[in-house]
Amino acid sequence: MNSQIVFALIRKDFKLYFSNRFFAVVTLLGLVAYIIIYFLLPATVNESLELGLYMAEMPPALEEMLVDEDVWFYRAESVDALKQAVLDGDVPAGYAFPDDLLTQMQSGGKVTAQLYLSPDVPPEFKEIYEVVLYEFAFAIRGQSVDIETTEIMLGPDMAGEQIAPRDRMLPMLAVFVLMIECLGLASLIAAEVEAGTLRALLVTPLTMSGLFVGKGIFGTLFAFAQATLLILLTGGLVHEPLLILVALLFGAALVTGVAFLIGSVGRDLMSVMGWGVLAMLLLAMPTFTILVPGLASNWIKLIPSYYLVDTVYRVINFDAAWGDVTQNLLMLLVYAAAFMALGVVVLKRKFQ
Amino acid sequence: MTQPAITAENLTYSYGQLLAVDHINFDVGEGEILGFLGPNGAGKSTTIKMLTGQLLPKEGRATLLGMDVARQPKKVQTQIGVCFEFTNLYETMSGIENLKLFASLFGVIDFDAEALLKRVGLDGRGKDKVEGYSKGMKQRLMVARTLVNRPKILFLDEPTEGLDPASAQTIRGLILEEQARGATVFLTTHDMHEADKLCQRVAFIDQGRIVALDTPHALKQQYGKRMLRAEVQDAEGSLQTREIILDREQTPSEVEALFKGEQVITIHSEEATLEDIFIRITGRGLS
Repeated sequence: MNSQIVFALIRKDFKLYFSNRFFAVVTLLGLVAYIIIYFLLPATVNESLELGLYMAEMPPALEEMLVDEDVWFYRAESVDALKQAVLDGDVPAGYAFPDDLLTQMQSGGKVTAQLYLSPDVPPEFKEIYEVVLYEFAFAIRGQSVDIETTEIMLGPDMAGEQIAPRDRMLPMLAVFVLMIECLGLASLIAAEVEAGTLRALLVTPLTMSGLFVGKGIFGTLFAFAQATLLILLTGGLVHEPLLILVALLFGAALVTGVAFLIGSVGRDLMSVMGWGVLAMLLLAMPTFTILVPGLASNWIKLIPSYYLVDTVYRVINFDAAWGDVTQNLLMLLVYAAAFMALGVVVLKRKFQ
Repeated sequence: MTQPAITAENLTYSYGQLLAVDHINFDVGEGEILGFLGPNGAGKSTTIKMLTGQLLPKEGRATLLGMDVARQPKKVQTQIGVCFEFTNLYETMSGIENLKLFASLFGVIDFDAEALLKRVGLDGRGKDKVEGYSKGMKQRLMVARTLVNRPKILFLDEPTEGLDPASAQTIRGLILEEQARGATVFLTTHDMHEADKLCQRVAFIDQGRIVALDTPHALKQQYGKRMLRAEVQDAEGSLQTREIILDREQTPSEVEALFKGEQVITIHSEEATLEDIFIRITGRGLS
């Protein structure tokens, strides 16, 4: 085989590939996006133990130990402050000791302590906190101490009710269902433009705004119906069904706006699929934070689907009510309206 | 005097620096078929787009049935039917579904899709998906779609382009039927014979300008020449062609001389075609 011919073929294919604006842009954009995502994700694993502590008087021996140990402590000013820190998620757990701790220890009697826990603390962590407590006591007294601990769960007690993987994945599945519908609508729009059927529609009494309303309603309701069916069949509509339905409706409107945007940039089915997968990846990212808690931080809230995922997750798994997710719903509504408006403007320009 | 169905006044459109339609003026009477003839890129489709409200003119205005197209496009579009140059049907839907969709967009009540399909020679194929139709069948369905709202004005952009003779003939028949119903037809075509047969008047458009507009007969009178073409046999037995221009003072004597002096084998009268006239006016052909 002539190597020059092979080289010419490769060069030709390379040119053809990059002469297609879609492939060129998606290739570069994808590369950049994946790199950005990589650097946005945590680069280190946090191996230190976080714990809150309330102690009226800190024994010097314990203070010395806390500096040495690989444990991050939050020193609360009061029991209430400790409880609030646990409730706010600043620390997953916290010990409150009685004000006469040192007296109790010196008398050699039983020492009491209260352990305040966040509901999502895994059982194995409780054992670690117990070990830490005995270490504290040993550091203070120089010998083992008989300690009685009372565990107090702050917020809903999820002990023994760990969230099943499928329930964790449900918001992700809902987002995927919505996104698949989004891809379908986007490819329909692109095909209408490509085949010229849109021109035929627009020389009838059908107005441009009528066209958008029709497509918007179709896209939103079709996506909403599918996502609702998914949640319904998986038993997710038991608690606060109206709340879930409202969240799904806003989510469906959001992906319809995204579909308008994809439909305006996609020229054919292939390019729609390309852009669609990119959008799907972005919108699915908040679901990964549920699957792997601690994966990402506050920047994930910039992704509009976060508010849908978080709402569905909290309502289904933590029995959240309207008041708990009002802010989520408002943000989702704002994002949906913004994407819908942007999609209409961009698509209208393409139609004209 | 009845108002024209279509009026174009200084209608102008440009794509960037390219002047596609250059201040054209014409009108089309009710029930008239106007042929709009010109080569590719002459401005025919752009003119149709402005007349049907798909494009806003850069200058001038178009009036259909007394309504300003730019101001009342949707009102105008309820009264017209547009057959596009390229097939733009929903291929994965059946013929009937395509027609019913557009009938519902026009708000046509009691729409009889089967009857319309029969008119265009597609009876029995209405339930088939359009993707399985031949080019001629698709084009006939396009014309049928144009008729769903019984339009007062029909815009037909190259409706017989590339069709087999039978399909083309069906469409020509429909155009004449629509005219008989009272519809006005704006027809663009490359086919000069078709224009000659169907149109009361023809307009020649070249480089965005109307260079001639009249009846085919008047254009032939003005720009063409009629002649007799005879085949004669000479003394050696070979065939020669003789041409005699008609409508001249010496024509009778030339005809007499031909028959007296030559052995005439065949003789035909000929007149200029619209294509000849187009070439004569513009200096270039239609294709």
